[in-house]
Amino acid sequence: MDKHILDLSIEEIHEALVKGEVKPSDLVKEALKRAHESKDNAFEMILDDLALKKAEELDHVVVPKNNLFFAIPYVLKDNYSTKGIKTTASSNILNDYIPLYDATIYSILKESNAIMIAKASMDELAMGGTGTTSHIGTTFNPFDKAHVRSIGGSSSGSAASVASAVVPFAIGSDTGDSVRKPASYAGLVGYKPTWGLLSRFGLFSYAPSLDTVAYFTRDVIDARHLFNLLKKHDDKDETSLNVELKEDVEKKNVKNVKLLVFKDLDINLKDETLLKTYHDLLNRLKEAGMDIVEVEFGHDLLSAIYPTYNVISFAEATSNNANLDGVKFGPRPEGNTYQEVMMNARTVGFSNLIKRRFVIGSYVLYKENQKTLFLRAKKVRRLIVQRLNELLKNADGFISLAAPNIAPKFADATDKLSDAYVINDNYLAIANFSGGPSITLPIGLKENMPFGINITAKAFDDLNLLNIAEVVESFSGMKGLSAKEVDKYVK
Amino acid sequence: MNKLDLKTIKDAAHRLLFDMSEEEFLTLQKEFDITLAQMDVLGKIAGVDEIEPMTFPFDIEVHHLRKDEADTPLSNEEVLLNVKEKQSGQIKLPKVVL
Amino acid sequence: MSNNYIPTIGLEIHLETKSKSKMFSSAPNTYGAKPNTSVLPIDLGMPGTLPTVNEEAVKNAIKLSHALHMKIDHTLHFDRKNYFYSDLPKGYQITQNERPIGSDGYLDFQLDGSSVRVEIERLHMEEDTCKQLHYTDFTLLDYNRAGVPLCEIVTRPCIHDARVARLYVEKIREIGIYLDVSDGKMEEGSLRCDVNISIAKEGAKEFGTKVEIKNLNSTANVEKAIAYEIERQKSLLENGEKVRQETRRFDESKMETVLMRVKTDAVDYKYFPEPNILPIKLSDEFVNDTIESSYELADVKFARYTNVFKVSEYDANTLLKNRSLALLFDDATKTCQYYDLLIHFINGDVLTYVSGANNVFNLSGKHLGELINLVGENKISNAQARDIFKVIAKDNKSPIDIVSEQGITQISDEDTLKEMIKKLLDENPQAIEDFKNGKGRAASFLVGLIMKLTKGKANPALASKLINEELKRR
Repeated sequence: MDKHILDLSIEEIHEALVKGEVKPSDLVKEALKRAHESKDNAFEMILDDLALKKAEELDHVVVPKNNLFFAIPYVLKDNYSTKGIKTTASSNILNDYIPLYDATIYSILKESNAIMIAKASMDELAMGGTGTTSHIGTTFNPFDKAHVRSIGGSSSGSAASVASAVVPFAIGSDTGDSVRKPASYAGLVGYKPTWGLLSRFGLFSYAPSLDTVAYFTRDVIDARHLFNLLKKHDDKDETSLNVELKEDVEKKNVKNVKLLVFKDLDINLKDETLLKTYHDLLNRLKEAGMDIVEVEFGHDLLSAIYPTYNVISFAEATSNNANLDGVKFGPRPEGNTYQEVMMNARTVGFSNLIKRRFVIGSYVLYKENQKTLFLRAKKVRRLIVQRLNELLKNADGFISLAAPNIAPKFADATDKLSDAYVINDNYLAIANFSGGPSITLPIGLKENMPFGINITAKAFDDLNLLNIAEVVESFSGMKGLSAKEVDKYVK
Repeated sequence: MNKLDLKTIKDAAHRLLFDMSEEEFLTLQKEFDITLAQMDVLGKIAGVDEIEPMTFPFDIEVHHLRKDEADTPLSNEEVLLNVKEKQSGQIKLPKVVL
Repeated sequence: MSNNYIPTIGLEIHLETKSKSKMFSSAPNTYGAKPNTSVLPIDLGMPGTLPTVNEEAVKNAIKLSHALHMKIDHTLHFDRKNYFYSDLPKGYQITQNERPIGSDGYLDFQLDGSSVRVEIERLHMEEDTCKQLHYTDFTLLDYNRAGVPLCEIVTRPCIHDARVARLYVEKIREIGIYLDVSDGKMEEGSLRCDVNISIAKEGAKEFGTKVEIKNLNSTANVEKAIAYEIERQKSLLENGEKVRQETRRFDESKMETVLMRVKTDAVDYKYFPEPNILPIKLSDEFVNDTIESSYELADVKFARYTNVFKVSEYDANTLLKNRSLALLFDDATKTCQYYDLLIHFINGDVLTYVSGANNVFNLSGKHLGELINLVGENKISNAQARDIFKVIAKDNKSPIDIVSEQGITQISDEDTLKEMIKKLLDENPQAIEDFKNGKGRAASFLVGLIMKLTKGKANPALASKLINEELKRR
């Protein structure tokens, strides 16, 4: 079967549109068809009428050469506010909630005439990393037709929709690793830009000091195009920063790049296949002239990432979600007092995982607990960030496997807090602590399941990181991977 | 390590205005054990007591304040669009006892 | 024998400040609009909304802090106060817990001829909650008020007298009104006052148990509630009972405080820094410009009026009860230096006029000054000024134009008047006779005749003087 245009990257689809090889409505019809055929339970809602109407409107417009996103179908995670379109963050407590305003990210995409074809399912309220906690049930990994392996989360539906080539890009959100880890499990480029560069206005808050607009693409160039589109100062977000980013074009040359490998992080990697692919890649990069230097990060601090993340994010989350009480929106249960109304709404509306996290988050904020719990976590956050920044002073970033394994089987995937110090399964939150840009890209397959590496850089070093990632991508042999054509990539 | 008692945990949940099953409370109790033990370990990291807590990813101050201009408000219909119990343009609750 | 108890009082004032938009929301800041028509998604706590800090609200807080002699923090930090309540849309309130914009200030004022100082611990910015309307069986929620800017001003527990508490609240209200940062209407809830009060035996080292009084809707009730509460607590202690830590409200009809709820454990608000607002650095220039642009306080005006304009303290105080009239006075003094005439006219005629239910008042200070100048220069009489005022108050016409259009003049020319008086006396020999016989009324009778003859245009004082002189001469 010939490659359909929808299987290509944004850049390639754009060229086809400009040349008139495909019409917006052809593209969107195919995307909608694939969305309906998808067996991955990736969507909260498929927006046939809205998308088709827009596409047909664009059929009559000359394709602007300077707008790559014109008529490009995409999927939006269901925790972005879309005026008049139901948005639930995959939680029962927001069933039937119709937002009254648009998230800035959605507005920008709308303005560029990109076409939203669906809202993606996700782990409830973006808290979770298994893709199993949505109120519509588990999202599956398109690479695993048997549906025994997870796609990770929380941006599970967004990841699945790009991996199954329904759309060439999808918007997710990343508070700990919610885009970058599913990207590894789904063979995608997952990019989390520097905190503060992309507006969070309209993104349902999980933990604002860590939350970042993030997304999936097929390749690094598309990630860069999307970054250029979405990076925009927004007066509606007090944490939106107006920063002129520096770019060192020398970093496009592999010989001028220096990456760190954290010995005490990589020492825990056990999977032979993944390790071999990873080390082969590092060797090829070294041979090509990249400077790859092994350093110790500090075991105490690496081990601290997971509990630190839990305490900070749960604390912020318990407060951010206190607005969900059934009074102003969401299901309104019966009750003899307002407390009963709220209690009934919240008891039924939240799943158990969410509640457990809220309780821990609330407890660490008690006046008598702040010193040893919440404030201690915030202090450790600073220690970790200081150490990272110190090491990155003389390097362009650090590299490791994005996850220590291929996508786990559902039987092994759990969101219950663990005391096994699984550093490599949780270290990606370091980029949320530091705010720095962080990118996952696929480097190989094991049992036809993909896996990727992650590179994390200093805050505001987005353009250099994207250049470096493009270099690394060119050595990976996995550019453009999708579940539809996984066979082509098996060596 | 003090195990956090179920009474405290249940009280914490109830203060957040939700309830959970006994089984979930037991799961949560285990998670508390793990978290509190982990936080104990964090307390032993060198330098942790002296350093300032970090709220934002980087130490940055901004200078911008919003100009005092009013935007067009929502219509009353929009305000009440998602409201299930309403009366006279307002949200209705069981009587709030002062 | 009765012990001597010392009350200790602390006050928390919530002042709604004036602005076009809300504290963290760009919804209109209105009062009295139809329910739920001044609302944006953030005021309903809708997911994904973010707070943005209103410049005007910050300026208002700076002006108030400066007027209260406070240290002003040039970096804004906000915190979340977390609790669930029916009137709290987000489940938390954004406030300033750790670093209030204003700290360590004071307010001085006079009581019984001596100066009193109230120490002020802090002034912080926060957002108001939604308004609840309670009916027999249910409560209705109006979110127009949700997010309205508030300044909370907290005194130290340094007040020992109910009258001082009342005067303090009145003074804060006056400052809010004179800075034009608040309308200070207690009855509409734009100034709300909570009182903390305890009593202890004279010389005791520790405070007594603190009772909080809420819902005080006038400054008179602040004083009455405190006075009642002092007596209530005294009699409890005298009878060997304990004062409970509780929240009470003032029942106006019974003139007593009644129990609302007994405080058990203090609520844990789980404060933490607001992660959606980065620290905001205010430039020195911004803070200084804001302070310099502050309107003049009543105290400063009082000093100026009494020291420079030499008007009486009574007149000054009367005028200062109404800020807009004080501003009118200030404006009029730019064209008129007859300060006594001016202030009397404003405190009298103008005040009466503007207090009238449907009277439209548009008179500029310039025209008022010109009107009073005509009186001061003896060109028109007070009575004429009053008539002219009624004509120009609504439409702000020029009094000089009115005078010339309608030929309103006062005859103040001595020769003209003398001529008329001579002629009048010639025609009224009986009046001269009466005068010589000591009938004082004869002179006033003649003044009346002159006024009638001139259709009120004669300067009555001058006419009276000339008539007396002429009578003596006959």
